[in-house]
Amino acid sequence: MAKHETPLLDQLESGPWPSFVTDMKHQAETKPEVWDILGQLELSYTDRISHWKHGGIVGVFGYGGGIVGRYSDLPKRFPGVEHFHTVRVAQPSSKYYSTKHLRALMDLWEKYGSGMTNFHGSTGDIILLGTRTENLEPLFWDMTHDLNQDLGGSGSNLRTPANCIGQSRCEWSCYDTEECCYFLTMKYQDEIHRPAFPYKFKFKFSGCANDCVAAIARSDIAVIGTWRDNIRIDQAAVKEYIAGNYPANGGAHSGRDWGKFDIQKEVIGLCPTECMWMEGGQLKIDDKECTRCMHCINVMPRALRPGVDTGATICVGAKAPILDGAQFATLIVPFMKVSKDNDFEELVNFIETVWDWWMEVGKNRERVGETMQRVGLPTFIKVMGIEPIPQHVKEPRSNPYVFWQDEEVPGGFERDVVEFRKKHAA
Amino acid sequence: MALSIEDLKLAILEKATKSPKPQLYIKDFYECDVDSKPRVVKNAANDLVKEGKLMFWSSGSTTMYALKSRIKNEEGAEGVN
Repeated sequence: MAKHETPLLDQLESGPWPSFVTDMKHQAETKPEVWDILGQLELSYTDRISHWKHGGIVGVFGYGGGIVGRYSDLPKRFPGVEHFHTVRVAQPSSKYYSTKHLRALMDLWEKYGSGMTNFHGSTGDIILLGTRTENLEPLFWDMTHDLNQDLGGSGSNLRTPANCIGQSRCEWSCYDTEECCYFLTMKYQDEIHRPAFPYKFKFKFSGCANDCVAAIARSDIAVIGTWRDNIRIDQAAVKEYIAGNYPANGGAHSGRDWGKFDIQKEVIGLCPTECMWMEGGQLKIDDKECTRCMHCINVMPRALRPGVDTGATICVGAKAPILDGAQFATLIVPFMKVSKDNDFEELVNFIETVWDWWMEVGKNRERVGETMQRVGLPTFIKVMGIEPIPQHVKEPRSNPYVFWQDEEVPGGFERDVVEFRKKHAA
Repeated sequence: MALSIEDLKLAILEKATKSPKPQLYIKDFYECDVDSKPRVVKNAANDLVKEGKLMFWSSGSTTMYALKSRIKNEEGAEGVN
């Protein structure tokens, strides 16, 4: 029987979609405290204000992240949610689980928490919603010792790194995203579990420009697979697509009749740099103009493949806050070799140079992309020791002045003011 | 010349004790020794947490540091209504 009247929430069950309210009522049959979540949420809808107090000193010993404190501001009225802490559990690379493992994790959460989850949070972690302070240490012990699974990042830590499925299942992945993510996760355990920075910091690893983890939109350092030689073309397969014998996009949009495949309209005409054309029945690509956007490869996967000289593009500074407005990452390094053979040496050097600079220059609660914006891209790439390249230029200059650095001017800017004033009176 | 780790920890504790704000960002501790690298200051502050002299306070998106005696514990606090 319902503990609280919830007419506003009940309305959310009347639509054609699955409702979280129905799920929570079901959960409340075995976890009565879930009624207090519903009751408090109903009150928030009436009062038009949140009744959660966010943040706190809770955590597990030795860790400075992974637990987010949350309390009800009406604990006497809703005792079931007096403490309602969030636990962030680090997801395995590419989010591969066995059902046995998931069942064990859920059994643990039924034992120590509300049983409510969020698969997955924006950073990628498994989010376990709602437990009491006294349950945190036992939960952490069982999770790490029995299930061999760790907490993820929160606060001013390096957040749990995330990657696409990479070479485990995708033929387009230009580097081993899983190996890279795992290597850096293990290397930077201290930064993941204890605060290190002025604000949060995220890595994400995508194997190609399809960017299945949306690295370019939501990570401070996005490592996106690419190649620097030519797209591999199978001209016989191109002919099969034109003849309609192979389905476009691997048949992904075959639920509707789109008419006969038109290579001019669907591939060549949509190339963002117009670097493709047909000549003598053959598809031609001017690869030096290609931006590696993946569109043509997506449409004709049996005819076109990424090149073989593969690596990654490094972009820096994305963020996706709702209130301040989102920002894509900025391209900094167009091509970098990314390999376990040298322990991802070049990428590690890049990351640590960014960190050393941002830890010193970044303001409190300022993402690295905001610091870059504040100081300007020319200053940032100079700090990074990177030569400017055309890809760094977003638009033609609007400022007519040319600014020179001291070392770029013969003799520097030093001058004897007394001597100067002998010739030019003030 | 940078302070020794032990002297740096003392300077951090002094800052945490005397600062008008009870909760401090890691950058607030940088001024304890301008010659120490930010990463060294961060490691010293985190060591003080391990030693039980400082505590983390996290909003979920940002983490701050405070002396246990100066930090507000939300547990048991009753809010509005």
